[in-house]
Amino acid sequence: MNKIAYIAGFALASGLAGTANAQLVAHKDLSVNTAVTIAQTAVQTCKAQGYNVSVHVLGRNGEVLVAMRGDDTGPHTLENSMKKAWTSRAQRAPSVNFANAVKTNPTVGAIHLTNMVPAQGGLPIMVGDDAIGAIGVSGAPGGDKDEVCAKAGIDKVAADLK
Amino acid sequence: MSKIAGRIAGISLGAAVAFGIAAPADAQLLTHKDLTVAAATTIAMTAIETCKAQGYNVSAHVLGREGQIVVAIRNPAAGFATFENSMKKAYTARTTRAPSGKFAETVKGNPNAAQFFLTNFVAAQGALPIMVGQDTIGAIGISGAPGGDKDEVCAQAGIDKVSADLR
Repeated sequence: MNKIAYIAGFALASGLAGTANAQLVAHKDLSVNTAVTIAQTAVQTCKAQGYNVSVHVLGRNGEVLVAMRGDDTGPHTLENSMKKAWTSRAQRAPSVNFANAVKTNPTVGAIHLTNMVPAQGGLPIMVGDDAIGAIGVSGAPGGDKDEVCAKAGIDKVAADLK
Repeated sequence: MSKIAGRIAGISLGAAVAFGIAAPADAQLLTHKDLTVAAATTIAMTAIETCKAQGYNVSAHVLGREGQIVVAIRNPAAGFATFENSMKKAYTARTTRAPSGKFAETVKGNPNAAQFFLTNFVAAQGALPIMVGQDTIGAIGISGAPGGDKDEVCAQAGIDKVSADLR
């Protein structure tokens, strides 16, 4: 009886301490339509500026949601766009931040991780403070120009990112 | 000019003239038509939306001439295996230049069909080659509907959407 009372008391305490469903985390994630809109807007924005680019949109766990190989792009751009997006998602920050970190410290630990690339052109996709994914763009003559197109993609769906 | 040099020049000139007459300009290069990213995206999204309208969440791959990814779309509302499966179906359709359902039939008749042992081949319906006349320029693969026949309907809808451009 004592033991049962102890267990009951523990359960009650746990129940009081946490909120409802404290054992699960609630996530918002990109839908297929939102992800495609982001990617396509980035491709089209760069195209309008005269640059053919490839794009990746990754989800919360770095999984590929959308991959797009731009017309007449170099074969490395698809991979590079994935890695820029991966870097942004992992660090919850623009991939240029990592590029700057590596400039300062070429042996920074994260450079040795798979898929991390110190190159501008990736941005995290945020819902408030939550990084739900990332977009990476590669192919424009300069990561700054890639990033402009990545930003245009996110801006297009900004109203839905809440 | 030495006799030998003159002879070589003569042969070269003769060969050049002969080639020039026999073949059209640029006969040493192949002329290809390939999918644009815009057309590939239209194909993929039309397929996804067609299946959605029928109550099925599917993932899609559109591969190009060399089996390379032109557009890959994971539908988070579909099972996660659908992403890989749509790629493999498309790969199968591209390389056999035929619906992947045809390869599925082949494997039914012969479970040890040699191609079944190649990477990325899958014996499953749901992918179609993208043709320009007799030329296979790519393929679309769909996975997620309850049955490869239903996947294939959506793949066909995707191709049909851009059929006017496939020439």
